[in-house]
Amino acid sequence: MRISTIAWANLRRRKSRAALLVGGIALGIATAVALLTLSRSISEEIGLQLDQFGANIVVVPKSDQLALDYGGVSVAAAAFDVGELTDEDARRISEIPYANRLAVVSPKLLGAADTGGRKVVVAGVDFESEYALKRWWRVVGRKPAGPGELLVGHDAARALGLVEPSAEDTSQPVVPTSANTVDASQHATMSAEEHAAMMQTAPPQHFKLARDRLDLNGREFRVAGVLAPTGGRDDALVFGGRAEVQALLKRPGRLSLVEVSALCKDCPVEDIVGQIAQKLPAAKVSALQQAVRARAEAVGRLTRFGAAVSGVVLIIAALLIFTTTTGAVVERTKEIGVMRAVGFRRAHIVKEMMLEVLAVSFAGGALGWAAGAAASWALMPYFSQTGQGFRPDASLAALALFAALAVGALSSLYPTLRASRLDPSEAVRHV
Amino acid sequence: MSFIVVENVGKVYSASAGGPETRVLEGVSFRVEEGEFVALMGPSGSGKTTLLTVVGAMNRPTEGSVVVDGIDVYALTEERRADFRREYLGFVFQQHHLMPYLSAVENVMLPLATVRTPSREKRERALTALEKVGLGSKAARLPNQLSGGEQGRLAIARAVVNEPPLLLADEPTGSLDTRTGEEVMNVLLDLNGRGQTVLLVTHNPDNAARAGRILHLRDGRSLRSNSNREMVNSRGTETQLVHG
Repeated sequence: MRISTIAWANLRRRKSRAALLVGGIALGIATAVALLTLSRSISEEIGLQLDQFGANIVVVPKSDQLALDYGGVSVAAAAFDVGELTDEDARRISEIPYANRLAVVSPKLLGAADTGGRKVVVAGVDFESEYALKRWWRVVGRKPAGPGELLVGHDAARALGLVEPSAEDTSQPVVPTSANTVDASQHATMSAEEHAAMMQTAPPQHFKLARDRLDLNGREFRVAGVLAPTGGRDDALVFGGRAEVQALLKRPGRLSLVEVSALCKDCPVEDIVGQIAQKLPAAKVSALQQAVRARAEAVGRLTRFGAAVSGVVLIIAALLIFTTTTGAVVERTKEIGVMRAVGFRRAHIVKEMMLEVLAVSFAGGALGWAAGAAASWALMPYFSQTGQGFRPDASLAALALFAALAVGALSSLYPTLRASRLDPSEAVRHV
Repeated sequence: MSFIVVENVGKVYSASAGGPETRVLEGVSFRVEEGEFVALMGPSGSGKTTLLTVVGAMNRPTEGSVVVDGIDVYALTEERRADFRREYLGFVFQQHHLMPYLSAVENVMLPLATVRTPSREKRERALTALEKVGLGSKAARLPNQLSGGEQGRLAIARAVVNEPPLLLADEPTGSLDTRTGEEVMNVLLDLNGRGQTVLLVTHNPDNAARAGRILHLRDGRSLRSNSNREMVNSRGTETQLVHG
């Protein structure tokens, strides 16, 4: 016979009350678990989708020169031979302490090139990085596979006479259909390799190249593909391999800017900016605050909503425990008096009653977590556009149990202490 | 020195909601020797149960002192007084107050629940106590599976399982018929015969007559003007508690 024996026996005696408490706690915990799981999943999805918007950190040379605007971002002195970054600078970005938070580092060189007497802006890029950074790109044709191949923006291609409408759709010459392209939500779950493979294996069908040769500064290149309209500055650019463009522009090892995508969930973007700035003191490192803030705001709202609703439900569960435990104290006044009379200290009474509450809370927490997880699993497809499935989370299970125990202990503290303070002589005479 | 020394004990219950205070005991003094069987008699409302709970370290008197085995009970802290009850006292209540969800042997083990003793030893002690009151064969039964007399005996077993020096019984036969009441009284007398000190509250003259001594409490507030002392007479005679 221990104090726990009494607690367990009393729970068995009052099965319906114990079941009611377990149910109440389980309902609260299940709601909290489901909301947290769903809001976390939706937050991740929003973060992932916002990540598709591209870079959120841009590294450019420090300069007082007139800037060339690129993608809404000031690219300092991009057209001038002053204050350029180098390939080594791009490499050093990957050495910052938060390097593991960097999704993509995309160095590029911008410069003007001559083609048949016309000037075009040429961008030397690492195509794999660029595809990873700009997942909304759709390529008509194929991606450049090696040296001497280019990818041309839609407007540039039209201006240079590289494209013409296909026989199937002459009115909308370069707009791919859903049959031959993949939208951004599908891209969200793809790796860069999958993305590249997709673009190679699903060529657009309503578009064709008029010619696939282009001279730049007197050197002939092959046009591998043309970008579908992006609505951005990329439409006016000609993209080539970084090393080739550096050679073409006679700026070997030089860079105009480095775009960095660090938009992973809960990324400390400001810290990352600081670390890059420390690594590259000659560079100006800017975070695209708008994208970051928008994402943080969206994620924050969802998280706050989930937390608020969970809090309300848990408070209701706490009130249920409080009223039930208070009722139990009144009902068991005589028993408590007897226990006090035979030598139970106040602490023993608290222990006995707390053991009951904690046992019930633990059961409610475990049941609630299981129910919440099941609900999340069932509801996830209705909330997740990317079809991300439910993933069991051990930390959430531990949190659910801890919350259940904490709610149980805190809400029953007052009635339990009150029980321990009952006057034994009065308690045994309680009617 | 006497085993129990009650000196000039008074008890006033505080007023509730503006009502008058209620004085239940006033200037009560008496002594009980070790091994005595003392019956405390008096009409309803005379303060018998209050006096028993005062002696039982459960009800702090408004004035006076209670000394048991040389220990000034109300000089102890609340928690030490709980320990004192566990080590020195056994209670038998009028309604028995058994835990309905515990078996007979578990009910008897209740005072041992807070004691650091192996469970096996606790059970053995409880079974021994049950044997003493003739319930050895009914250890696994729930209280509601026992007769009234058996429940009374079970309550006594619970009171003596920790072998307390003093057994306090508050009308343990009050809710029983004559025959089962007799059963319970026989157990108490048997225990007293083995040296157990017993203080029995009763309004049953027959039960009181079987005690070694009777303390008669008449209206806790009434005063006898001739004396402020306890008159100790020979076994079986009535002793008046007098108030100063």
